[in-house]
Amino acid sequence: MLVIPRKQAVESPSSSDEEPIRSEAVSRPDASRLVGRLGASLRSRFGDSVEASVDRGSIRLEGEAPSYDDKVSAGWLAARYGFKGVVNDIRAPGEADERLEPRGAADSSLDGSYYDVAIVGGGVIGAAIARELTRWDLSILLLEKESDVAAHTSSRNDGMIHDGFAAKPGSKKAAYNVRGNRLWEPLCRELGLDFKRPGSLVLFRTAAAAALYPAMAARARRNGVDGWEFWSRARVAAEEPNVTADQRGAFFLPSAGVLSPYRATVALAENAAMNGARVALGACVLGMELDGGSITALRTNKGSVRAGVVVNAAGNWADVVAGMAGDRFFSLHQRRGTDMILDAETASAQRHILGMPRLLQLHSKTKGGGLVLTVEGNVLVGPTATESPGREDYATKPEELDRLTRHLRLNTALSMAQGITYFSGVRPCTYEEDFIVERSERVTNLVHAAGIQSPGLASAPAIAQDVAAMVVEAAGRFRRVAPRAGWRAGRAAPPEPRRLGIEARDALIAGNPAYGRVVCRCEEVSEGEIVDAIRSIVPATDLDAIKRRTRAGMGRCHGGFCTPRVMELVARETGLPAWAVTKKGPGSELCVGPTKAGPRRSRGDAAARGDASGGAS
Amino acid sequence: MIRRLETDVVVLGAGPAGLAAACSAMEAGARVVVVEREERTGGILKQCIHDGFGLLRYGRQLSGPEYALRDADRFGSLGGRAMLEAFVTSASRLEAGGFELACVDRGGAFLLRSAALVLATGCRERTDRQVFVHGDRPAGVFTAGLAQYMINVQGLLPGRRAVILGSGDIGLIMARRMTLEGMEVIGAYEAKPEPSGLSRNLRQCLDDYGIPLALSSTVTAVHGGRRVEGVTTARVDGAMRPIPGTERDLSCDTLVLSVGLIPENELAKSLGVPLDPRTRGPRVDQNMHTLVDGVFACGNAVHVNDLADYVSESGERAGSSAAAYALAGPGSPSRVRRLSPLSAGPGCLYVVPQLLDLAALADVARADDVCLYFRSSSTMASGAVARLAAGDAPGAGGATLLERRYRALRPPEMERIKAPAGSLAVGPARPAEPGPGASLIVEPIEPEDR
Ligand SMILES: Cc1cc2nc3c(=O)[nH]c(=O)nc-3n(C[C@H](O)[C@H](O)[C@H](O)COP(=O)(O)OP(=O)(O)OC[C@H]3O[C@@H](n4cnc5c(N)ncnc54)[C@H](O)[C@@H]3O)c2cc1C
Ligand SMILES: Cc1cc2nc3c(=O)[nH]c(=O)nc-3n(C[C@H](O)[C@H](O)[C@H](O)COP(=O)(O)OP(=O)(O)OC[C@H]3O[C@@H](n4cnc5c(N)ncnc54)[C@H](O)[C@@H]3O)c2cc1C
Repeated sequence: MLVIPRKQAVESPSSSDEEPIRSEAVSRPDASRLVGRLGASLRSRFGDSVEASVDRGSIRLEGEAPSYDDKVSAGWLAARYGFKGVVNDIRAPGEADERLEPRGAADSSLDGSYYDVAIVGGGVIGAAIARELTRWDLSILLLEKESDVAAHTSSRNDGMIHDGFAAKPGSKKAAYNVRGNRLWEPLCRELGLDFKRPGSLVLFRTAAAAALYPAMAARARRNGVDGWEFWSRARVAAEEPNVTADQRGAFFLPSAGVLSPYRATVALAENAAMNGARVALGACVLGMELDGGSITALRTNKGSVRAGVVVNAAGNWADVVAGMAGDRFFSLHQRRGTDMILDAETASAQRHILGMPRLLQLHSKTKGGGLVLTVEGNVLVGPTATESPGREDYATKPEELDRLTRHLRLNTALSMAQGITYFSGVRPCTYEEDFIVERSERVTNLVHAAGIQSPGLASAPAIAQDVAAMVVEAAGRFRRVAPRAGWRAGRAAPPEPRRLGIEARDALIAGNPAYGRVVCRCEEVSEGEIVDAIRSIVPATDLDAIKRRTRAGMGRCHGGFCTPRVMELVARETGLPAWAVTKKGPGSELCVGPTKAGPRRSRGDAAARGDASGGAS
Repeated sequence: MIRRLETDVVVLGAGPAGLAAACSAMEAGARVVVVEREERTGGILKQCIHDGFGLLRYGRQLSGPEYALRDADRFGSLGGRAMLEAFVTSASRLEAGGFELACVDRGGAFLLRSAALVLATGCRERTDRQVFVHGDRPAGVFTAGLAQYMINVQGLLPGRRAVILGSGDIGLIMARRMTLEGMEVIGAYEAKPEPSGLSRNLRQCLDDYGIPLALSSTVTAVHGGRRVEGVTTARVDGAMRPIPGTERDLSCDTLVLSVGLIPENELAKSLGVPLDPRTRGPRVDQNMHTLVDGVFACGNAVHVNDLADYVSESGERAGSSAAAYALAGPGSPSRVRRLSPLSAGPGCLYVVPQLLDLAALADVARADDVCLYFRSSSTMASGAVARLAAGDAPGAGGATLLERRYRALRPPEMERIKAPAGSLAVGPARPAEPGPGASLIVEPIEPEDR
């Protein structure tokens, strides 16, 4: 009964990229005919174990599949029938029962409050929407269940601002990607973030592949990509001296850029907060109350919040959040990606982003991965793409790393031994393999920004503009919405002494000696920067949050030396005992308590300095 | 205005190596500035509250802090001052000779110039990602040194039930320390077929507490998303690959890694100092002088020692040589070196120094005993001979310059040979030409040979 072999199911081009069986919206009389055809098709693959039905305009799949890949294949198949969405309730082995769990203890800090707009999810999408909405005189609440923004997919990606070539022509992905690509550079300038545009080289493996150039140019033109060029083999070799000899020229896309995805998310959230939005961390939306087709309140672990308009930007939980409003017209499946970061010494090894997709992959769901550059310059290898259940399962696997090694062949100066770390992220994907950016058809005051898989980061500013417009329109039903007076586009980025010249650094330290005490030796991060992060308007109170903002602990010793010092600074600033400091919020405490002898005086404590064994200061 | 300081010798790092170097340089008459990043001197010894330090140097067992206190007292009595909580941000060589370091401390940024530089920056620990432990990144994964700092310096208990990966000394010491603090230590897992810690530590830290050590075994995965909930262990084959079917899940909340130390040499690299790929520290001559004139190195920044006493010994040598170099001044004939390679021959994992300065060996005024530090590349349980042979081709078997016999040699146990300068007269008589050098060959003695 299982027709598609496991491997192929994962690596084959997505069914949604194949010709759709029906492309316009399905009309009522069509529906039963189409669902009959889908049923027959599913039966031929899965026997009687999978059933399809139409549920309020979407296809609903139920039953059991022999594997998660089969479940996903069934969803892709259903997506070709042109319904509103695919709700895939097929059960597959290996899927755990996943529930939204608030972190830490409940409180009532939000209870009884009202906001014109409540945004669920503090990833790059929710943060960008929050910031965009602060242009209007609306009261805004951003709810994030973790102890920091950017705790999930928005910190577990390649940081690439794609050119828009790879997205399927005509898709929302293509349109938002190209628009987002143009918006990020000025946005980064406003927010004090680094942005680089190294451009991307899609290498041809064979002369036959090079013959595809006209087709590629046609696709780039259709997508509205900002520039493309054919580079000969010699030109590629001249511009990238370490490139593999195994190339036959390249398709060059100059608009591809890179930035730090977590810093960008933090900056967006901070700027939103500066402009009056409330960012509630550790606040998990657990349910909703509805009245006459509208959401009236959000049930959270911090009490009940009334909201005028609700935005669903919940990443890998967006289908669950939609379900809370009775609007579950799609399901998400999870596509995991693994990346490896190479040592900073690779910063000079290549100048452009390099990829060599297999021919088929030009049409597939992912861009096949490659050698990306971080905004700091070091090489990032990846990502992989594997369908795998687990909305927040970030466990890395050896076979994923093995898959990455093939990319290293593209650059002869790189080796796996230069790896300093590796990580996984999970893409929230619909079965249509496209974004959902729209006002709910069933709930009057709900806007979805869901299924934001790659290139979601690249698309974020454009998605935010459209969602903001939808929210303003929806809010217009209950109040007059005017632009906010005194809106500030800019954010003064906190100082980074290591990037200053000696005179400027000296002056900075004269103003605040804490900028002169280096806490993280590998990345040269000072106490002052860590304290800035802890005291930020969107405060970082755990080690991972501080690492995302300051890079402390990100270097070659992986926090071996600075962890205790950062713990002590968090303890000092927040009043927590040092052992209660967490890695990533409640449940991830670094220690279980004091030792028998009890905790020692903090090293930051002036009285502790200069005594005991040192003596020589 | 940026502060500017000038001195003869700058010592980077105030651990046992750096303080010994500073003291010996001061005793040799040089002006010395010590730059230390932390708020106190003593380096890693501050967190090593167990004893086992000082037997060679002071003839008695001291704890790490006691050992460090002796260094600090000597340093203080010589009038030494360390710049504490000071950090070197970059280092450069000056056209005219000497070095300039850009530093920061709470007082601001400053520039420090000197004729000679001693790198005593110690080492760091290898991490989980470098030994390919898979899984998410929950709290509860600590390097042994980090757990040591938390328990001994901060007074914090890192967990309740721990598994140790690796059998390095710090991990062994922490197995005992955690047990004494009431934690349950389930066992230590070592991928190699032999333990990498000292026999003394295996006995006193594992055996005495009934903590099992599994050899040819490793931890392949960590479970848990927020705090460690368990690990998967597996046996490994000869190529250290996990053997399918041997996996076992253990429940624990802490994974402590003791999988090796790496000399810290970022500043050395930025100064263009060539490193030895085997030790991952600078290549040095018998005076701890690197291949960059004026840059000296000592302690665990050069190679990972197993006794602090040897660390101090190398510091003494580096400090006095740096002082002599600085005080001799530019153009002095005593600054001219004639370097000849000393290589690790068959059976030898590495040898320090990697170079011999024949000019210094030939100069009666300066010639001093030479300390050779080495490790065997495999366990030689029934005895071994270390032979220093002229000629650096492996197995060349040139004339034997000196020979030492051992009852047993194991790679974790570093050995030291003190050789009279005269015994090392190798290389050509003509100056400025590298000689054929010498190599250290280590051969096992079969039981019947003894
Ligand atoms: C390996 C990998 C590489 C990628 N590379 C790129 C790339 O180079 N370029 C690119 O453009 N895109 C890339 N992407 C895609 C990109 O990362 C995502 O599209 C983007 O981060 C999605 O952002 P988000 O805000 O929708 O989701 P998230 O960042 O996951 O944010 C959603 C947030 O909602 C919160 N939340 C969920 N439910 C609730 C609730 N009930 N109450 C409160 N809070 C809730 C979650 O805690 C989470 O923080 C990559 C993805 C992966 C996995
Ligand atoms: C985490 C850890 C735990 C250890 N535990 C033990 C143990 O239990 N028992 C044992 O015998 N050995 C232990 N060791 C080995 C230890 O390195 C040696 O015993 C001994 O301390 C080495 O002396 P050292 O002077 O070479 O280096 P260290 O003692 O490490 O001293 C180096 C000093 O240099 C400073 N420094 C480094 N770079 C700079 C810079 N750029 N600017 C300014 N200052 C700098 C450091 O802050 C440090 O104070 C441990 C090592 C590590 C890394």
